[in-house]
Amino acid sequence: MNPRVTSLRARLLKWLVIPLVALNLLAAGVAYWLAWIPAQTAFDQSLADTAWALVPHMQESGPSVELSLSQQAEQVLRVDHFDEVYFVVRDARGKTIAGDLDFPALRKPEKLNAYTAYPALMRGVDVRAITLRTLVGGETILIGVAETRIKREQLKLRILWSLLGTELLLLLLVIAVIRWVLARGFQPLQDLREDLARRRTDDLSPLPMEATPQEIAPFIRAMNDLLKRAQDSSRAKQDFLANVAHQLRTPLAGFKAQLEWLQEHHRQDDETAHSTALMLVSTDRMARQANQLLALARSEPGNFERQRLGRISLDKLVSESVQQFVQQALSKDIDIGFDLQPTEVQGDGFLLRDLIDNLVDNAIRYTQAGGEVTVSCLTVNGCGVLKIEDNGPGIPDAEKDKIFTRFYRLDRTQPGSGIGLAIVRDIAIDHGASVSVTAGADGRGTLFRIEFPPTE
Amino acid sequence: MADPFMHVLLVEDDLVLADGIARILRGHGMVVDVVNNGDDADRALTLREVSVAVLDIGLPGIDGFEVVRRLRARGSTMPVLLLTARDDVQDRVRGLEIGADDYLVKPFAAPELVARLKALVRRSNPRPVDMQVAGLQLDPFSRRATVDGQVVELSAREWAVLEYLMQNASRVVSKQQIIDAILPWGEEVTLNAVEVYVSRIRSKIASAGVTIKTIRGFGYMLEPVAPE
Repeated sequence: MNPRVTSLRARLLKWLVIPLVALNLLAAGVAYWLAWIPAQTAFDQSLADTAWALVPHMQESGPSVELSLSQQAEQVLRVDHFDEVYFVVRDARGKTIAGDLDFPALRKPEKLNAYTAYPALMRGVDVRAITLRTLVGGETILIGVAETRIKREQLKLRILWSLLGTELLLLLLVIAVIRWVLARGFQPLQDLREDLARRRTDDLSPLPMEATPQEIAPFIRAMNDLLKRAQDSSRAKQDFLANVAHQLRTPLAGFKAQLEWLQEHHRQDDETAHSTALMLVSTDRMARQANQLLALARSEPGNFERQRLGRISLDKLVSESVQQFVQQALSKDIDIGFDLQPTEVQGDGFLLRDLIDNLVDNAIRYTQAGGEVTVSCLTVNGCGVLKIEDNGPGIPDAEKDKIFTRFYRLDRTQPGSGIGLAIVRDIAIDHGASVSVTAGADGRGTLFRIEFPPTE
Repeated sequence: MADPFMHVLLVEDDLVLADGIARILRGHGMVVDVVNNGDDADRALTLREVSVAVLDIGLPGIDGFEVVRRLRARGSTMPVLLLTARDDVQDRVRGLEIGADDYLVKPFAAPELVARLKALVRRSNPRPVDMQVAGLQLDPFSRRATVDGQVVELSAREWAVLEYLMQNASRVVSKQQIIDAILPWGEEVTLNAVEVYVSRIRSKIASAGVTIKTIRGFGYMLEPVAPE
């Protein structure tokens, strides 16, 4: 197959999934920020609360302000389960009144009694800091509180992971749904493909149009149009074949009649008798080929007309050809025998005669001189069965499927066109009959068994 | 020869085939007139009756079907055998419906044509004729069989079986066909009995240069012993 063959399904899937993934990522980003901002605000608020908690511990002392914080209270302020907490209290001029001396520079909020929050660096570690501006006894005081970012990062990670998990799950679900929808949507195409794949090579009947979606209906119509043209051309070819075969029969009959007269009148002259006998064999072979052409044209499933089916008696049909079979068999010194039980099947007499004729001809052709061929028919459980058995060389297992292929020939040293068994197969299919090939009774030779469907 | 009075009208437009058939039939002692188109055939059949007509279906002028239709319309019961290059069921049915008596698809074997013509004439003309195959001769008047002139003693049943086999010389006949042919005697005959008659006949005509072949599970075929 061409590796560049594209799949509509894969294309649709691709074009649906790529924007969906992008949209999903965008939505995830938005969701992340929507989840993180309130959390950040809450954390900042709790830092501000710590700053506020220091305010009651401050009082004016002269021109300055003092923080009187017991060791215990300071510990309470500074303790946090995850993070280090730092603080500083500075006056308006920037002089540190209390707390950590190395606290980074404070950012003064614009409003009184409000705080600003900002990232900062404290002892080489990223921290989150706030600065609260308040008045203690008329003096402007700036209180800075900072904490390391451990619990913030943890929360961030948690939000990220849960968002990613949810989005991934959602994406998988969406892809599954799309795939299912596409599969359902493409079912008519799939059905079409299977219908075509199941066909025999020579089945040119139109594709069914009922329940066809309007998108592919024009395609199927075009296809049916093509099939119709192929069928017409194949039928024209078959008509031509049949016509040629018919046209050949009269000159062949003339040729044969003249040869038979020659044979009759030059019986005594060995050389002439030898040559007329050979010419007669060739004439019969040509006649047979002409008949095979006809049978081939007739057995084509496209030409098969079910209304021509009638009740056919297999034993009578074989009886009608016994003369020909016996002559064929005697000319090859083969003992031909029959076991004809009354057997009725539903069928077309001409096609069934072609079938029997081909099987018997085949058996006689491929069985050695002195061999045996037996033609029998019988009814088994209401089903007509035709059997042609020989004690010839048999057919190797590996070849058993191939022998029904048109133009396939097992033994190329024998004259033949390789269509005899293909005709047998076609006619069997026309009649809904099964064909089996096995070894003969004692494991030698070949047994062809045709089983017809039961007649109602 | 066996049928000195058999007169055949052969209607065939293929000159090679017409010539071949005519010579073969003359070789069997028949008188053969040949015409090459339907109109001549119709005229010939209007002028005089023959023992049997062999008619090709596809003819220039009026076709074989029409020739038969006109023949039957005139009330003639003369036997007609149709020759055709087509073996469609319609052709066969139509031919027999119109009143043809037999049907042969080209190409055919000469002995088959001769046997069928003889059978048609025998059916239309119950007057028995002498029959001969190699050294075996049957005289239906005296119901006597001779091998190279020597009379062979046969029972009535054996005679009937042999007569039927001779009538169908070189053709395969089934045991049931033999029974049906000899049944006018009115008694029940089994398939086994037929085998017994045939084996007795074989031993009685052993020196006649005639063989009765057994077709396993089917029947018999009487024919001259093939020259070695």
